[in-house]
Order: sequence, then structure tokens, then C-alpha cells
Amino acid sequence: MSERNRLRSIFTLVQLNGIIPIRTTPLYIVNLLASPLSFLFFIYIVSHGTYVAYGITGGMVLTMLTVGTSVQSDLTHYRHDLKFQDVVVASPVEAPIYVAGMALSELVYSLPALGVFVVLFFLWGYASVTSLAVLAGVLVLVWSFASALGFTLATYFQDVRETFIFSPMISLLFTVLPPVYYPISALPGWAQVASRISPTTYAAGLVQGSVGLQPLSLSVALLDWGVLIGFTVALFVIAAVKARWKEP
Amino acid sequence: MVSAISSVRLGKTYPKAKAGARALSDLSLEIPTGRVYGLIGRNGAGKTTFIRIAATQLAATEGTVYVLGHDIRTEERTIRARIACVPQESRPLYFLNVEEVVYLYLKLRGLDPKDARRRTRDALDELSLTEYRRSLVSRLSGGLRRRAMCAMVLASDADVLFLDEPTTGLDPLARRQVWEAIRRASRENRTILLTTHYLDEAEALSSRLALIEAGQLRLEGSPADLRARVRYPYRVTIEGAFPREELESYGKVSEIEGGYLLFTREAEAREVARLALERGLRVSMGPVSLEDIFLDVVGKSIEEDAPLPDNEEDTTEVSA
Repeated sequence: MSERNRLRSIFTLVQLNGIIPIRTTPLYIVNLLASPLSFLFFIYIVSHGTYVAYGITGGMVLTMLTVGTSVQSDLTHYRHDLKFQDVVVASPVEAPIYVAGMALSELVYSLPALGVFVVLFFLWGYASVTSLAVLAGVLVLVWSFASALGFTLATYFQDVRETFIFSPMISLLFTVLPPVYYPISALPGWAQVASRISPTTYAAGLVQGSVGLQPLSLSVALLDWGVLIGFTVALFVIAAVKARWKEP
Repeated sequence: MVSAISSVRLGKTYPKAKAGARALSDLSLEIPTGRVYGLIGRNGAGKTTFIRIAATQLAATEGTVYVLGHDIRTEERTIRARIACVPQESRPLYFLNVEEVVYLYLKLRGLDPKDARRRTRDALDELSLTEYRRSLVSRLSGGLRRRAMCAMVLASDADVLFLDEPTTGLDPLARRQVWEAIRRASRENRTILLTTHYLDEAEALSSRLALIEAGQLRLEGSPADLRARVRYPYRVTIEGAFPREELESYGKVSEIEGGYLLFTREAEAREVARLALERGLRVSMGPVSLEDIFLDVVGKSIEEDAPLPDNEEDTTEVSA
């Protein structure tokens, strides 16, 4: 397959799984706006507005993670119930093209939510060249590792119902327990250490640091980027080696 | 003739299968280029396992398959560029309309939009789907969805088409339309590997057939070859009282409503038919059907399910 055809395949998947379903059922967008905005509202009420900035940055991270859980549930459904993955396997489309197309198509659903948070980000006065660059980099990495994780899991699930178990667990492990919606200092000492297992702790640290919510030294920033990039690369490697494009 | 698909001592044991439970065993087949080749067998016989291995969706445990001369173990990418597959029980994405199902599949394969549009239009016409082109898949009957899947693959540029029970759920007219499209694809020198439960379909479409039972090849050849290789290539139906013992001296007898069914050789069939007519009984005779051959070889009707090895096809447990 030529590079041009690969691009065509990716954009066809975006059209097929992103643009057309939204055209058919626009309520999908509302669904993806609901979770991050609910969290923001909850945080605003509980913290009396103190943590609203964390809610905005955390909302963006959650939105990108939601892409990954959507990749996971859609691909499981397509593989099992429609045999769509089998159709694609027996075609010139390679696994990385399929994942890239599907991950981009899920991003289409998330764009309105992301748009709302970016507007709030500007309104709260956090937008600067540095913060926007950091935000963009972090969100791309979170989107990438979440999609790779979603694809890998989807090739193992034996039933779409399994995704109903894993999706909330992933959200819990990556966005609720780690300090994505609040400062890491709000956690007790042991929990601060435990939260270092989650890559979103580093993602949130970078975003919160770039807008001045948390102190962020250059060495800590480099460490955070290193961990986040390393985690993303590791999940890509796991997806390449362990995902079941072809059934064993 | 050059083989489009060639399996060499192919074997498959699913990872979670009980000891000794094999989905395929020592299966060697030569599927000629530009023909329709039918795989017949009961549910769980191993047909889908064979198709999934040849279509590079499932790994073999032993042996290999060559598709267009390329080994599935080492040249998957080359093979995938030249094949297309309608998996068993597959359905189109329900939020697309029929035209999008075909057109987007072709674009996904890398066809340029103009060519994809032309092929889509032709395929929809051929399978009488044009009037449904703007209909959402979610609002279509199961038969129309299946036709859309067939249109998708038949419209493709693939040289080898794997069709796993493509006409299940279609009405007789729609089945004929799919048959015609399959024949046309074969006339274009494309190879079609077909599994079906409908033995009339297998016979009508296939230049050669393989009968698989319990993962093993039991009979292979053209429909005429298969007839020639069974013990009794003729069937005689007699309505009325004919002494069973007398009939049994000619071949294999079974009782049917109001009479007997005799499987025998041609000369004996003519003799029995003559005797029956002389006794004023209604009689009909002719070559055995594929259903008769199946029954003779397997000892069971094709409608009867075979026990599935663990993780075997025809279940929902399929993964990539």
C-alpha cells in the first residue's frame, strides 16, 4: 500500500467511524461532553471555585482518555458483533492504519468537548505560547497511549460487556485517583507516591505547571516528559507485539 | 491449471481446545485460479477455520497455505493486498447507508474515489440494491445487509474472494442475484472460495467441491467426480408396495413416506425402474444429489451440527 493510499484509508476510517455516525446521531457529542463537564461542575461546587482551573486542565486530559476507552469499546463491538476487524484484516489495510484511523475518528467526537475546555482555558487567562504548546504535546501523548491501550485490550476481550467493566476502571485509575483534577499536594503522602504509577500524574503535572498552578522546575518537567513519552512508547510496543490482529 | 490457493497438510488446534480436539487435520487442497470452489460440511466441520486461515485472520498450527503463490506464514501483507472476505455472520456498520458500506470499503482498500464510485454503482445495480442505496443499514432486513456485504467484496479489486456462507438468510431471488454476481467475478478470472449450507448452491456455482467432516477432507472433485466416486451414483424413488428384500439386493434402501428410496448403480437403477413400472408403481430415477452424496459419505445430514472443538468457528468466540 502506498503512503497516499494509507492516508486515504486513515481518512476513510475517520469518515466511517467519526463523521458519519455524528451526522446520523448528533447526540454522541453530548454524551462525550457530559463526563468532563460534570466533573468540572462537581469540582467547582465542592472547592467553591478554588480548583476550577484543575477542572479545566483535568477535563482535557479526561477527554483524551475517553478517546482511548471509546476505541476499546468500539473496536471490541466491531470485532465481535460485526466481524469488521476480520473484514479489514483480509484487506490491504494494516493494523497501525486501522488503529490510527479509529483513534482519529474517536477524536472527532471529542473535539466539541475539547473546544469547550480550550475556550474556558482562554477565559481563565491560562493561554500562553508555552502553556498551549505543553497542553498540545501532553494531550497528543495521552490520546496516543489511551488509543494504543484501547486497541490492545479490544483484541483480547471476548465480549463487548467486558469493556463495560474495564472502561470505568481505566477512568478511575487514570483520572480520578491520580491528581488530574486536583493538586498532588491534596493527597496524603503514601497516595502521592502511589499516584506516580499513573502516567496521567505526569501529564497533569506538566499542564498544571505550565499554567502556574503548581511549581515546575526544569528537571521535574524533563522527568515528566520522559515518563510520559516512555509510557506512550511502551504501550505502542505492547500494542505492536501483543495485540491480536490475527487470531492465534 | 495454476492453484490460487494451495493448502499443505494444514492443521489447526485452538489454544484452549481439549487434548486431541482438532479443528483441522492434515488438510491438503488445491483451489484452481479463476474458479468458484465450494467447501461443504456440517457446522463445526472446519470450513470457517480453513477460510480464516487462508484469509490470514487465524494462525495455523501445522502446515501452511499458499495464496496466489505466497505463504501465509511469511507473506501476509502481500496476500492481504489481493484478497477480500465476507466473514460468517458479519454485518455492515449499522450507521452507514448501503452505498457508503460499499464505497467506503473500497476507499479503505485504497481505491481512488472515482473508481470506487463506479464500482459501487455497478455492484449495487448487479445485486438490486440501488433502490436501497440511501437506506441506513440499521433499517434493513438481515437479507439486505448480507447482500450489502456481498456487494462490498464483489465490487473490490481483490483477486481472491473468501465468501463464508454469503447467502445465509437471503430469499431465493436474492440468492440467484448473488450467484450471478459470483459467476461474473469468476468469469473475470477471480477465484472464489465459498462455504455454504445450501448444497444446491454449492453444486450450481462450484467447479470443484471439497467435503470436510471433523476437520478432515473426505471427498474432493467436480460435482461429476463426486458422483462417480460414491458407491451408488443413482437414486430411485418408488411409490407403492415393492418388496423391500428384493430392493435390498440392488443397493441401499431407505423407507420414505409411501414407498422406498433406493441408492444403486446405473444398470440396477434402470432394472428396478423397469420392474416397478411393470407392476404399475410410480417411479422416478436420476443421478444422486449432493445431499445424497453427503449423507452417504458422512452418514449424517448437513443440517445436523457437528460437535465444536473448543474455540472453534461458528461461535461468537473469534478474535483477530
